[in-house]
Amino acid sequence: MLNNIQEWTILLVIFGISALFGNWLGYGIMPLQAVPGMIILILVCLAGFIAAEVIPLRFPSVAYIAIIGILVSTPWTPGSAYVAEWTGQVELLALTTPILAYAGIAIGRSWADFAKLGWRTLVVASLVLLGTFIGSALIAEVVLRIQGII
Amino acid sequence: MLSREKANGLWKDWRLHVIVFAIVIIAESIGQFEFSVGPGVVLLLPMLYAIIIGLVVFFSPLAGEEQSKHAEPLLVLGVALLLAKIGVIIGPDLPEIIAAGPALLLQELGNLGTILVALPIALMLGLKREAVGMTHSVAREPNVGLIMDRFGINSPEGRGVMAVYIFGTVFGAVFMGLIAGFLATLTPLHPYSFAMASGIGSGSMMAAASGSLIGAFPDMENTIVAFAGASNLLSLSTGLYVSIFIGLPLTEKLYRMMEKRRGGGGDA
Repeated sequence: MLNNIQEWTILLVIFGISALFGNWLGYGIMPLQAVPGMIILILVCLAGFIAAEVIPLRFPSVAYIAIIGILVSTPWTPGSAYVAEWTGQVELLALTTPILAYAGIAIGRSWADFAKLGWRTLVVASLVLLGTFIGSALIAEVVLRIQGII
Repeated sequence: MLSREKANGLWKDWRLHVIVFAIVIIAESIGQFEFSVGPGVVLLLPMLYAIIIGLVVFFSPLAGEEQSKHAEPLLVLGVALLLAKIGVIIGPDLPEIIAAGPALLLQELGNLGTILVALPIALMLGLKREAVGMTHSVAREPNVGLIMDRFGINSPEGRGVMAVYIFGTVFGAVFMGLIAGFLATLTPLHPYSFAMASGIGSGSMMAAASGSLIGAFPDMENTIVAFAGASNLLSLSTGLYVSIFIGLPLTEKLYRMMEKRRGGGGDA
Protein backbone atom coordinates (compact mmCIF):
# COMPACT_ATOMS: atom_id res chain seq x y z
CA MET A 1 0.00 0.00 0.00
CA LEU A 2 2.74 2.45 0.98
CA ASN A 3 4.68 1.39 -2.10
CA ASN A 4 1.64 2.06 -4.22
CA ILE A 5 1.09 5.52 -2.75
CA GLN A 6 4.71 6.38 -3.49
CA GLU A 7 4.39 5.12 -7.06
CA TRP A 8 1.10 6.97 -7.68
CA THR A 9 2.63 10.18 -6.31
CA ILE A 10 5.65 10.00 -8.61
CA LEU A 11 3.48 9.28 -11.66
CA LEU A 12 1.02 12.06 -10.85
CA VAL A 13 3.93 14.48 -10.45
CA ILE A 14 5.37 13.42 -13.83
CA PHE A 15 1.96 13.89 -15.44
CA GLY A 16 1.53 17.20 -13.59
CA ILE A 17 4.81 18.58 -14.94
CA SER A 18 3.73 17.96 -18.55
CA ALA A 19 0.36 19.55 -17.80
CA LEU A 20 1.96 22.61 -16.13
CA PHE A 21 4.12 23.29 -19.18
CA GLY A 22 1.11 22.89 -21.46
CA ASN A 23 -0.76 25.24 -19.12
CA TRP A 24 2.03 27.79 -19.63
CA LEU A 25 2.38 27.48 -23.42
CA GLY A 26 -1.32 27.14 -24.19
CA TYR A 27 -2.92 29.41 -21.61
CA GLY A 28 -0.12 31.74 -20.49
CA ILE A 29 -0.15 30.70 -16.83
CA MET A 30 3.38 30.51 -15.36
CA PRO A 31 4.16 27.04 -13.96
CA LEU A 32 5.01 28.36 -10.47
CA GLN A 33 1.69 30.15 -10.28
CA ALA A 34 -0.17 26.89 -11.00
CA VAL A 35 1.88 24.64 -8.71
CA PRO A 36 -0.35 25.05 -5.59
CA GLY A 37 -3.43 24.10 -7.60
CA MET A 38 -1.70 21.09 -9.12
CA ILE A 39 -0.61 19.94 -5.65
CA ILE A 40 -4.22 20.14 -4.44
CA LEU A 41 -5.42 18.10 -7.43
CA ILE A 42 -2.73 15.47 -6.82
CA LEU A 43 -3.69 15.26 -3.14
CA VAL A 44 -7.36 14.81 -4.08
CA CYS A 45 -6.36 11.95 -6.41
CA LEU A 46 -4.24 10.27 -3.73
CA ALA A 47 -7.07 10.59 -1.22
CA GLY A 48 -9.41 8.97 -3.75
CA PHE A 49 -7.03 6.09 -4.49
CA ILE A 50 -6.56 5.46 -0.76
CA ALA A 51 -10.32 5.64 -0.14
CA ALA A 52 -10.91 3.03 -2.87
CA GLU A 53 -8.35 0.73 -1.22
CA VAL A 54 -9.57 1.19 2.34
CA ILE A 55 -13.35 1.37 1.93
CA PRO A 56 -14.70 -2.14 1.25
CA LEU A 57 -17.21 -1.06 -1.40
CA ARG A 58 -16.91 -1.93 -5.09
CA PHE A 59 -16.81 1.69 -6.12
CA PRO A 60 -14.23 2.84 -8.68
CA SER A 61 -11.48 5.16 -7.41
CA VAL A 62 -12.39 7.81 -10.01
CA ALA A 63 -15.78 8.18 -8.32
CA TYR A 64 -14.15 8.76 -4.91
CA ILE A 65 -11.80 11.28 -6.51
CA ALA A 66 -14.63 13.29 -8.04
CA ILE A 67 -16.62 13.20 -4.79
CA ILE A 68 -13.63 14.29 -2.69
CA GLY A 69 -12.97 17.06 -5.22
CA ILE A 70 -16.54 18.25 -4.82
CA LEU A 71 -16.40 18.03 -1.01
CA VAL A 72 -13.24 20.15 -0.66
CA SER A 73 -14.70 22.92 -2.81
CA THR A 74 -18.37 23.33 -1.88
CA PRO A 75 -19.33 26.83 -0.75
CA TRP A 76 -19.94 25.37 2.73
CA THR A 77 -16.41 23.92 3.13
CA PRO A 78 -13.99 26.09 5.14
CA GLY A 79 -11.10 27.26 2.97
CA SER A 80 -12.85 26.33 -0.25
CA ALA A 81 -12.17 29.80 -1.67
CA TYR A 82 -8.43 28.98 -1.72
CA VAL A 83 -9.08 25.61 -3.35
CA ALA A 84 -11.10 27.29 -6.09
CA GLU A 85 -8.56 30.09 -6.56
CA TRP A 86 -5.50 27.81 -6.75
CA THR A 87 -7.00 25.05 -8.86
CA GLY A 88 -8.43 27.75 -11.12
CA GLN A 89 -4.84 28.33 -12.28
CA VAL A 90 -4.77 24.82 -13.80
CA GLU A 91 -6.77 24.91 -17.03
CA LEU A 92 -8.96 21.88 -17.75
CA LEU A 93 -7.77 21.74 -21.36
CA ALA A 94 -4.14 21.70 -20.17
CA LEU A 95 -4.94 18.40 -18.41
CA THR A 96 -6.69 16.87 -21.41
CA THR A 97 -3.72 17.36 -23.76
CA PRO A 98 -1.31 15.00 -21.94
CA ILE A 99 -4.18 12.54 -21.35
CA LEU A 100 -4.81 12.30 -25.07
CA ALA A 101 -1.07 12.15 -25.80
CA TYR A 102 -0.82 9.03 -23.62
CA ALA A 103 -4.07 7.81 -25.21
CA GLY A 104 -2.63 8.16 -28.72
CA ILE A 105 0.36 6.00 -27.80
CA ALA A 106 -1.85 3.50 -25.95
CA ILE A 107 -4.36 3.04 -28.78
CA GLY A 108 -1.59 2.35 -31.26
CA ARG A 109 -1.77 -1.28 -30.18
CA SER A 110 -5.48 -1.44 -31.07
CA TRP A 111 -4.83 0.02 -34.51
CA ALA A 112 -4.49 -3.39 -36.19
CA ASP A 113 -7.92 -4.39 -34.85
CA PHE A 114 -9.31 -1.02 -35.89
CA ALA A 115 -8.00 -1.36 -39.44
CA LYS A 116 -9.81 -4.70 -39.75
CA LEU A 117 -13.23 -3.19 -39.06
CA GLY A 118 -15.34 -3.02 -42.19
CA TRP A 119 -16.93 0.15 -43.52
CA ARG A 120 -20.37 -0.93 -42.24
CA THR A 121 -18.98 -1.09 -38.72
CA LEU A 122 -17.55 2.41 -39.05
CA VAL A 123 -20.91 3.78 -40.19
CA VAL A 124 -22.86 2.05 -37.41
CA ALA A 125 -20.31 2.89 -34.70
CA SER A 126 -20.38 6.58 -35.70
CA LEU A 127 -24.17 6.53 -35.50
CA VAL A 128 -23.98 4.90 -32.06
CA LEU A 129 -21.94 7.81 -30.70
CA LEU A 130 -23.96 10.39 -32.61
CA GLY A 131 -27.25 8.84 -31.47
CA THR A 132 -26.46 8.92 -27.79
CA PHE A 133 -25.00 12.43 -28.00
CA ILE A 134 -28.01 13.91 -29.78
CA GLY A 135 -30.49 11.83 -27.77
CA SER A 136 -29.09 13.04 -24.47
CA ALA A 137 -28.84 16.64 -25.66
CA LEU A 138 -32.48 16.67 -26.80
CA ILE A 139 -33.77 15.32 -23.49
CA ALA A 140 -31.54 17.72 -21.53
CA GLU A 141 -32.78 20.64 -23.66
CA VAL A 142 -36.44 19.82 -23.02
CA VAL A 143 -36.02 19.33 -19.26
CA LEU A 144 -33.78 22.40 -18.83
CA ARG A 145 -36.37 24.49 -20.67
CA ILE A 146 -39.24 23.13 -18.58
CA GLN A 147 -37.22 23.95 -15.47
CA GLY A 148 -36.51 27.42 -16.82
CA ILE A 149 -32.72 27.01 -16.45
CA ILE A 150 -32.04 27.94 -20.08
CA MET B 1 -8.18 -0.59 -11.93
CA LEU B 2 -4.79 0.93 -11.41
CA SER B 3 -4.32 -0.30 -7.86
CA ARG B 4 -4.71 -3.93 -8.97
CA GLU B 5 -2.05 -3.55 -11.62
CA LYS B 6 0.44 -2.38 -8.96
CA ALA B 7 1.77 0.34 -11.17
CA ASN B 8 5.33 -0.51 -10.17
CA GLY B 9 8.24 1.00 -11.95
CA LEU B 10 6.16 2.81 -14.56
CA TRP B 11 7.90 6.08 -13.72
CA LYS B 12 11.15 4.55 -14.92
CA ASP B 13 9.90 4.56 -18.51
CA TRP B 14 11.53 7.94 -19.14
CA ARG B 15 11.30 7.46 -22.89
CA LEU B 16 7.49 7.48 -22.63
CA HIS B 17 7.30 10.50 -20.33
CA VAL B 18 9.75 12.55 -22.38
CA ILE B 19 7.81 11.72 -25.56
CA VAL B 20 4.53 12.83 -23.95
CA PHE B 21 6.17 16.00 -22.61
CA ALA B 22 7.39 16.79 -26.12
CA ILE B 23 3.95 16.06 -27.63
CA VAL B 24 2.33 18.43 -25.11
CA ILE B 25 4.84 21.18 -25.93
CA ILE B 26 4.28 20.77 -29.67
CA ALA B 27 0.49 20.50 -29.43
CA GLU B 28 0.06 23.52 -27.13
CA SER B 29 2.49 25.58 -29.23
CA ILE B 30 0.42 24.99 -32.35
CA GLY B 31 -2.63 26.25 -30.46
CA GLN B 32 -6.29 26.30 -31.31
CA PHE B 33 -7.68 26.66 -34.81
CA GLU B 34 -11.24 26.83 -36.03
CA PHE B 35 -12.92 26.86 -39.40
CA SER B 36 -16.53 27.05 -40.54
CA VAL B 37 -18.38 24.30 -42.33
CA GLY B 38 -21.63 25.86 -43.42
CA PRO B 39 -23.21 27.42 -40.35
CA GLY B 40 -21.26 25.27 -37.88
CA VAL B 41 -17.73 25.62 -36.54
CA VAL B 42 -15.15 22.84 -36.41
CA LEU B 43 -12.59 23.32 -33.63
CA LEU B 44 -9.09 21.92 -33.77
CA LEU B 45 -7.75 21.80 -30.21
CA PRO B 46 -4.25 20.88 -28.96
CA MET B 47 -5.67 17.66 -27.47
CA LEU B 48 -6.63 16.49 -30.97
CA TYR B 49 -3.09 17.07 -32.24
CA ALA B 50 -1.84 15.25 -29.15
CA ILE B 51 -3.76 12.04 -29.82
CA ILE B 52 -2.76 12.03 -33.49
CA ILE B 53 0.92 12.75 -32.79
CA GLY B 54 0.80 10.03 -30.11
CA LEU B 55 -0.52 7.55 -32.63
CA VAL B 56 2.13 8.52 -35.18
CA VAL B 57 4.84 8.18 -32.52
CA PHE B 58 3.65 4.65 -31.74
CA PHE B 59 4.34 3.66 -35.33
CA SER B 60 7.71 5.43 -35.37
CA PRO B 61 10.89 3.88 -33.91
CA LEU B 62 10.61 6.36 -30.98
CA ALA B 63 8.09 4.25 -29.08
CA GLY B 64 7.12 0.62 -29.10
CA GLU B 65 4.86 -2.02 -27.63
CA GLU B 66 6.29 -1.40 -24.16
CA GLN B 67 5.57 2.33 -24.13
CA SER B 68 2.09 1.62 -25.43
CA LYS B 69 1.42 -0.80 -22.56
CA HIS B 70 2.79 1.65 -20.02
CA ALA B 71 0.75 4.51 -21.46
CA GLU B 72 -2.51 2.84 -20.49
CA PRO B 73 -2.25 3.12 -16.67
CA LEU B 74 -0.86 6.64 -17.15
CA LEU B 75 -4.00 7.45 -19.08
CA VAL B 76 -6.05 6.25 -16.09
CA LEU B 77 -3.99 8.45 -13.76
CA GLY B 78 -4.46 11.44 -16.05
CA VAL B 79 -8.21 10.90 -16.07
CA ALA B 80 -8.05 10.73 -12.26
CA LEU B 81 -6.40 14.15 -12.21
CA LEU B 82 -9.00 15.43 -14.65
CA LEU B 83 -11.80 14.15 -12.41
CA ALA B 84 -10.23 15.88 -9.40
CA LYS B 85 -10.27 19.10 -11.43
CA ILE B 86 -13.87 18.49 -12.47
CA GLY B 87 -14.72 17.82 -8.81
CA VAL B 88 -13.38 21.21 -7.71
CA ILE B 89 -15.26 22.91 -10.55
CA ILE B 90 -18.51 21.18 -9.56
CA GLY B 91 -18.07 21.97 -5.84
CA PRO B 92 -18.63 25.75 -5.91
CA ASP B 93 -21.52 25.23 -8.37
CA LEU B 94 -23.07 22.41 -6.36
CA PRO B 95 -26.34 24.30 -5.72
CA GLU B 96 -26.63 24.87 -9.48
CA ILE B 97 -25.98 21.18 -10.25
CA ILE B 98 -28.60 20.09 -7.74
CA ALA B 99 -31.05 22.50 -9.36
CA ALA B 100 -30.35 20.88 -12.73
CA GLY B 101 -30.68 17.39 -11.23
CA PRO B 102 -33.85 16.37 -13.12
CA ALA B 103 -32.31 17.22 -16.50
CA LEU B 104 -29.08 15.42 -15.58
CA LEU B 105 -30.90 12.27 -14.54
CA LEU B 106 -33.34 12.12 -17.45
CA GLN B 107 -30.74 12.79 -20.16
CA GLU B 108 -29.10 9.50 -19.17
CA LEU B 109 -31.98 7.89 -21.06
CA GLY B 110 -30.73 9.70 -24.15
CA ASN B 111 -28.25 6.85 -24.50
CA LEU B 112 -31.19 4.92 -25.88
CA GLY B 113 -31.03 7.29 -28.87
CA THR B 114 -28.24 5.10 -30.14
CA ILE B 115 -30.71 2.21 -30.57
CA LEU B 116 -33.28 4.27 -32.44
CA VAL B 117 -30.71 5.86 -34.76
CA ALA B 118 -28.15 3.12 -35.29
CA LEU B 119 -30.14 -0.15 -35.18
CA PRO B 120 -32.35 0.48 -38.26
CA ILE B 121 -29.31 1.57 -40.28
CA ALA B 122 -27.30 -1.44 -39.12
CA LEU B 123 -30.07 -3.78 -40.30
CA MET B 124 -30.41 -1.88 -43.56
CA LEU B 125 -26.71 -2.44 -44.14
CA GLY B 126 -27.33 -6.16 -43.80
CA LEU B 127 -25.93 -6.77 -40.31
CA LYS B 128 -27.71 -9.44 -38.28
CA ARG B 129 -27.22 -10.31 -34.60
CA GLU B 130 -23.99 -8.28 -34.55
CA ALA B 131 -26.26 -5.25 -34.66
CA VAL B 132 -27.69 -6.08 -31.22
CA GLY B 133 -24.25 -5.95 -29.64
CA MET B 134 -23.29 -2.88 -31.62
CA THR B 135 -26.25 -0.66 -30.93
CA HIS B 136 -27.65 -1.60 -27.49
CA SER B 137 -25.40 1.00 -25.80
CA VAL B 138 -22.34 3.17 -26.36
CA ALA B 139 -20.19 0.07 -25.78
CA ARG B 140 -17.95 1.18 -22.94
CA GLU B 141 -16.40 -1.33 -20.52
CA PRO B 142 -19.52 -2.17 -18.44
CA ASN B 143 -21.60 -2.73 -21.58
CA VAL B 144 -18.94 -4.96 -23.13
CA GLY B 145 -18.96 -6.94 -19.89
CA LEU B 146 -22.72 -7.31 -20.04
CA ILE B 147 -22.74 -8.62 -23.62
CA MET B 148 -19.84 -11.01 -22.94
CA ASP B 149 -21.70 -12.29 -19.91
CA ARG B 150 -24.97 -12.76 -21.78
CA PHE B 151 -23.75 -14.03 -25.19
CA GLY B 152 -20.06 -14.93 -24.85
CA ILE B 153 -17.01 -13.44 -26.55
CA ASN B 154 -17.27 -15.48 -29.75
CA SER B 155 -20.94 -14.77 -30.42
CA PRO B 156 -22.02 -12.36 -33.17
CA GLU B 157 -23.30 -10.02 -30.42
CA GLY B 158 -19.88 -10.18 -28.76
CA ARG B 159 -18.11 -9.34 -32.02
CA GLY B 160 -20.51 -6.45 -32.55
CA VAL B 161 -19.96 -4.86 -29.16
CA MET B 162 -16.18 -5.29 -29.46
CA ALA B 163 -16.18 -3.59 -32.87
CA VAL B 164 -17.92 -0.50 -31.49
CA TYR B 165 -15.74 -0.62 -28.38
CA ILE B 166 -12.59 -0.59 -30.54
CA PHE B 167 -13.96 2.22 -32.68
CA GLY B 168 -14.77 4.25 -29.55
CA THR B 169 -11.36 3.58 -28.03
CA VAL B 170 -9.41 4.57 -31.12
CA PHE B 171 -11.57 7.21 -32.67
CA GLY B 172 -14.11 8.22 -29.98
CA ALA B 173 -12.28 11.22 -28.56
CA VAL B 174 -11.50 12.69 -31.98
CA PHE B 175 -15.04 12.04 -33.19
CA MET B 176 -16.75 13.51 -30.12
CA GLY B 177 -14.38 16.50 -30.09
CA LEU B 178 -15.23 17.33 -33.68
CA ILE B 179 -19.00 16.81 -33.56
CA ALA B 180 -19.61 18.45 -30.16
CA GLY B 181 -18.38 21.90 -31.15
CA PHE B 182 -19.85 21.54 -34.62
CA LEU B 183 -23.36 20.52 -33.48
CA ALA B 184 -23.42 23.10 -30.68
CA THR B 185 -22.71 25.89 -33.15
CA LEU B 186 -24.93 24.43 -35.88
CA THR B 187 -28.13 23.51 -34.01
CA PRO B 188 -30.36 25.73 -31.88
CA LEU B 189 -29.85 23.47 -28.84
CA HIS B 190 -28.21 25.14 -25.83
CA PRO B 191 -24.52 24.41 -25.07
CA TYR B 192 -25.60 23.26 -21.57
CA SER B 193 -27.64 20.47 -23.17
CA PHE B 194 -24.64 19.32 -25.17
CA ALA B 195 -22.50 19.62 -22.02
CA MET B 196 -24.77 17.10 -20.29
CA ALA B 197 -24.70 14.91 -23.39
CA SER B 198 -20.87 14.89 -23.29
CA GLY B 199 -20.84 12.63 -20.25
CA ILE B 200 -21.31 9.26 -21.90
CA GLY B 201 -19.14 7.27 -19.51
CA SER B 202 -15.71 7.64 -21.08
CA GLY B 203 -13.22 10.06 -19.56
CA SER B 204 -11.38 10.85 -22.78
CA MET B 205 -14.55 11.26 -24.88
CA MET B 206 -16.07 13.50 -22.21
CA ALA B 207 -12.88 15.56 -22.08
CA ALA B 208 -12.79 15.95 -25.86
CA ALA B 209 -16.49 16.81 -26.22
CA SER B 210 -16.68 19.26 -23.32
CA GLY B 211 -13.30 20.68 -24.31
CA SER B 212 -14.53 21.60 -27.75
CA LEU B 213 -17.70 23.09 -26.23
CA ILE B 214 -15.52 25.28 -24.00
CA GLY B 215 -13.48 26.28 -27.04
CA ALA B 216 -16.68 27.39 -28.79
CA PHE B 217 -18.33 28.99 -25.73
CA PRO B 218 -15.52 30.13 -23.39
CA ASP B 219 -17.85 32.29 -21.26
CA MET B 220 -19.78 29.24 -20.14
CA GLU B 221 -16.71 27.20 -19.21
CA ASN B 222 -17.50 26.42 -15.56
CA THR B 223 -21.09 25.36 -16.07
CA ILE B 224 -20.20 23.29 -19.15
CA VAL B 225 -17.52 21.41 -17.21
CA ALA B 226 -19.74 20.97 -14.17
CA PHE B 227 -22.63 19.56 -16.22
CA ALA B 228 -20.39 17.33 -18.34
CA GLY B 229 -18.55 16.02 -15.30
CA ALA B 230 -21.70 15.35 -13.29
CA SER B 231 -23.30 13.63 -16.28
CA ASN B 232 -20.23 11.47 -16.81
CA LEU B 233 -20.31 10.37 -13.18
CA LEU B 234 -23.98 9.48 -13.54
CA SER B 235 -23.28 7.55 -16.75
CA LEU B 236 -20.51 5.60 -15.03
CA SER B 237 -22.78 4.67 -12.15
CA THR B 238 -26.08 4.11 -14.00
CA GLY B 239 -24.96 3.10 -17.51
CA LEU B 240 -24.85 -0.62 -16.81
CA TYR B 241 -28.33 -0.66 -15.28
CA VAL B 242 -29.85 1.34 -18.12
CA SER B 243 -28.32 -1.28 -20.47
CA ILE B 244 -29.57 -4.28 -18.49
CA PHE B 245 -33.10 -3.11 -17.83
CA ILE B 246 -33.91 -0.91 -20.82
CA GLY B 247 -31.23 -0.84 -23.53
CA LEU B 248 -30.72 -4.52 -24.25
CA PRO B 249 -34.40 -5.59 -23.95
CA LEU B 250 -35.46 -2.67 -26.15
CA THR B 251 -32.81 -3.54 -28.76
CA GLU B 252 -33.96 -7.17 -28.80
CA LYS B 253 -37.58 -6.16 -29.20
CA LEU B 254 -36.90 -3.68 -32.01
CA TYR B 255 -34.61 -6.20 -33.70
CA ARG B 256 -37.33 -8.87 -33.75
CA MET B 257 -39.94 -6.38 -34.97
CA MET B 258 -37.79 -5.13 -37.82
CA GLU B 259 -36.59 -8.55 -38.87
CA LYS B 260 -40.20 -9.80 -38.99
CA ARG B 261 -41.23 -6.88 -41.14
CA ARG B 262 -38.40 -7.62 -43.51
CA GLY B 263 -39.52 -11.24 -43.63
CA GLY B 264 -36.34 -12.44 -41.95
CA GLY B 265 -36.22 -15.30 -39.51
CA GLY B 266 -36.00 -13.28 -36.31
CA ASP B 267 -33.19 -15.03 -34.46
CA ALA B 268 -31.10 -15.75 -37.51
